Order: sequence, then structure tokens, then C-alpha cells
Amino acid sequence: MTIISTPVLILGGGVAGVSAALELARRGVPSVLAEKGPRLGGRVRDFCCKATQACVHCGACRLGDLLAEAAARPEAAFRSLALAAEAQREGGVWQVELRPQPDEGEADPLAQPLAEKTTVNAQAVILAVGYEPFDPRRKTRFGYGRVPGVMTALELEAMLGQGVLVGHDGQPPESVAFIQCVGSRDESLGNLYCSRVCCGFALDMAGLIKEGWPETAVTFFHMDVQGYGPSWEEALPHMRQAIDFVRAMPGEVSAGENGPRVCFAGPDGQPRSREFGLVALSQGLTPPASAGALSEMFGLNRNQDGFLGEDAALAVSGAQGVFVAGTAQGPRGIVESIDHAALAAGAAMESLFRAGKEAAHG
Amino acid sequence: MISLNDCDPGFKFEVAAEPGGAGIKACFACAACSARCPVAGHREEYDPRRIIRLTLLGRREEVLSSPLIWLCSACYSCQEVCPQQVRFTEVLTAIKNLAAKAGYAPPSAKQIAGLLAGHGRLLAVTEFENEKRAELGLPAVEERGADYAAILGIAPEAAEAGEEA
Repeated sequence: MTIISTPVLILGGGVAGVSAALELARRGVPSVLAEKGPRLGGRVRDFCCKATQACVHCGACRLGDLLAEAAARPEAAFRSLALAAEAQREGGVWQVELRPQPDEGEADPLAQPLAEKTTVNAQAVILAVGYEPFDPRRKTRFGYGRVPGVMTALELEAMLGQGVLVGHDGQPPESVAFIQCVGSRDESLGNLYCSRVCCGFALDMAGLIKEGWPETAVTFFHMDVQGYGPSWEEALPHMRQAIDFVRAMPGEVSAGENGPRVCFAGPDGQPRSREFGLVALSQGLTPPASAGALSEMFGLNRNQDGFLGEDAALAVSGAQGVFVAGTAQGPRGIVESIDHAALAAGAAMESLFRAGKEAAHG
Repeated sequence: MISLNDCDPGFKFEVAAEPGGAGIKACFACAACSARCPVAGHREEYDPRRIIRLTLLGRREEVLSSPLIWLCSACYSCQEVCPQQVRFTEVLTAIKNLAAKAGYAPPSAKQIAGLLAGHGRLLAVTEFENEKRAELGLPAVEERGADYAAILGIAPEAAEAGEEA
């Protein structure tokens, strides 16, 4: 059993967690970051560059810059395979117990695997535990896991990242459909919120497809296009020429002869169906799997959508000395998560400063 | 072109206040209902999303006087796929009730109401049915027209007139 003392403990080693550690380090504040998996980088590690003729500001490349900086900042200590299991607050200090996770041989050059049960004493804790992608099996009518050629947007991303595009029959598809809002803005699931990133994500991928496979027709089934991020509005008119925007959510996706068959209402309100070589479901962002356990551990509230924290603008939670950064607080993109992490780091430093002042006067 | 001056902003609240109508205000116009509607496949003017939009816009007379609202087969396909739990089949029942109150019920609906008020069911019970019932050891069915009319609030004369219509 090891005991470490640090001003700030960060849980989660994705872009938000690493950004928070760096933001603190730049200001000379040491921190310990605990990542439950073997590697730093979180889900952004699986994202590829979306640039076509020009950069689309997706932010995927920012992770490399962050990790390069992290290597040069000794103030930030990274621990991998470290899961927070228990926490209690005593005398203005959080005592968080980290437990080592099974090592599967995948090491990270920046992070040191946690060797044994460790208690971290920290004045402030930043939760940057990320999100869980919505499981599209819950929307059975879209055929995921049942209809060949139906995949998640993240699976399509992984494929495009390898420079490959194959449809239901293992051949490059003649047509690709994106179905938006799978698991977002859906009262029947209780997910009333917009996931904010999926429209941009899907349209960036559509751009990559049109660039690499110009003969492939792309259809975009949506309710309305929610754009977040720079240069969005200038890009949209061009996209409307290259991509078929259908303002309708499909009723059903079933197995057709030549790929998944999508039934939807046309602009005239008439039901019609069309077969596509590949259907990508833009699954939404849902609260992290650990949200329940963490809210109990630290005694903090979850917002109405189930994400952690109370005030997104200040990155603060309901619990004293606990801050929430990135997608753990709510859906946001890569660049927004990095910014939000800086906000959380700032709020954590303010709490350290206040505690120091109180101690001096006390 | 729709002029807002011709819209009744209170119409959606009127629909929402009817039993089953409350879901209408949650509609995002995603058209999943239209995609699955078997009636829309047969009648090109019929479009659940359009009926909801017109209602939300407050096109009171246009919606209530439309013959389309009576075409729903009540198969509940729209209700099943709706992500916002609008429950369109029930919303449409609310709209049809308002239409009937406004005097827009089609002759067939009046005829059905007349049959119900006159016989307590959609078919007249004749000697043929009662003989069959007797063979099965069931008591004969007696029609109590006055009771049915009182329950439905339709005068027997109106019911008779409905039957003839």
C-alpha cells in the first residue's frame, strides 16, 4: 500500500484529463493522473484526420501535440491501469484509493502502470472520465447487429482511418447512408439532449468518402443539422451539393438483396425504401459507465441527462473540491473538451488558492 | 404560403388538452411516423408529419375539415417508431374528437354513431342471431335503445337519421 500526496488528482487519461494535467503543469501545479486502461489518449486515439482539401478542425490531431507536451512536463505524473475504487474527504483533503487493473501487456511510454493499491491524498479532484457511446442495439429498428452492412459511425471511422471502405458484401459500396440522432433526442430512451458532435462527425466522414471514393453516393438522414465548431456554415452549402440531405428519420432498416434496405419518408411525406451498400448509425454520447459509482463515491449530483457535475460553465460539481472536465460533464467535441479541461483546471487551482489563503489566516 | 394571421396559436393546446393529445407538443418532425405509415403508402396526400405540423402551426380549420384525418387505420406503427413518444394514433383521435364537435365528422362516422346509439353495437341484433344464441344455450339479446342513446348523448331521432344517412 503506497500513499501519494498531490495538489490535484485527475481521473481519466483521455484528451480532457491530459489537457487538465498540462494546464496545471504549465502553471507549476503538480498533479497525478489515473487512467483505468493501459494507455493515455482515450477515445480520441481511434479518430483519424478528417481533412480533405483543407483542415476541418476536427481536433483529432491535437492528442499527439498534448502527449508530446506531456512527455516534457515533469509536474504531471501519469499512472495507467489505476481504477478509483473508494474516496473520502478528511480535513479538506480527498483520500482516493486506486486499485491496479489487470495488465494485458499493452504499455504506454508516458504512463507508469500502478503496481499496488495506492491512496492518493489530493486537495482537488478532476473527473475526466469521458462518455459511453450509445449502444445502437437498443434501437432495434435500425438493425445493428442483425442486418449486414449496418455499422456504427465509430466503426466506419475505424475503417476510414485504415483508408478502407467496404460495405455489406465486402466490396466498396456504391452508396452510403448516415442515420443521425441514434440514441440522442429520443424521449423513448430518456435521452432528451442533442449529442452535439455527431452531425459534424458524420459530415466530416461523408467528406472523406466523397474525397476518396467520389463515385459513392452519400445520403444523410437527419432531423436538422446541428453544427458546432469553426467554418461550419461555410462548409454546409458545398456539402449540400455533394451529399443527399434527407430531412427524415428512417422508420426501419432491414436486410435487402443488395445491402441494408432503409425505409423512410420522402420530401412529399410518402414512404419509400432504398438499398444502400453501407448504413452508418451516428450513435449519440451517453454518460460514462462509471457515472453512478463516481457520483456515489464523491457525493456529487448528476445533471438531468445523467452526466456528472452541476455547472458546465464553471466545470464544478456539487461536491467540494471535485471538478468535472470534458464529456463526463456533457457531450462536446475534442477541441471543446480540451477547452473545458482548462476551465476545470482553473477552477481546481482557484480552490487550492482559496484553501491556502484560509490556512494562512486560520 | 401560410400566413400566421390565419393560424390559431391555441389550437395545439386544445388538441393537447384532449385525452391522448398531450404528446403532440414533443414532435421534432423527424418523419419516422410517415416512413412507417401503411395508409401513406396508399394515399399520397396522407402524411402524419404534415398533420402534426399543421396542428402545431395552428391551422385549425384546415386540419379539422380535412377528410385525411379520418383515414388512419389505427395500426399504431407510427406510435411504435416515434422517438419522442408523440403517440400519433391517440393524437389523431383527439383531433377527430375536436373535428366531430366542430361538425366535421364524415357521414360514415355519423352512421356508425347512429348504429351504436340505436343498437348498442355496430350491427342490429335480429332473430337470426338470437336463434343461434339459443342453440348455444345463450340468453337472447334485447336492445335497449333509450339506454344506449342516453349513454352516448345522442337523441334516438338523430341516431335514426344517422342510420339513414
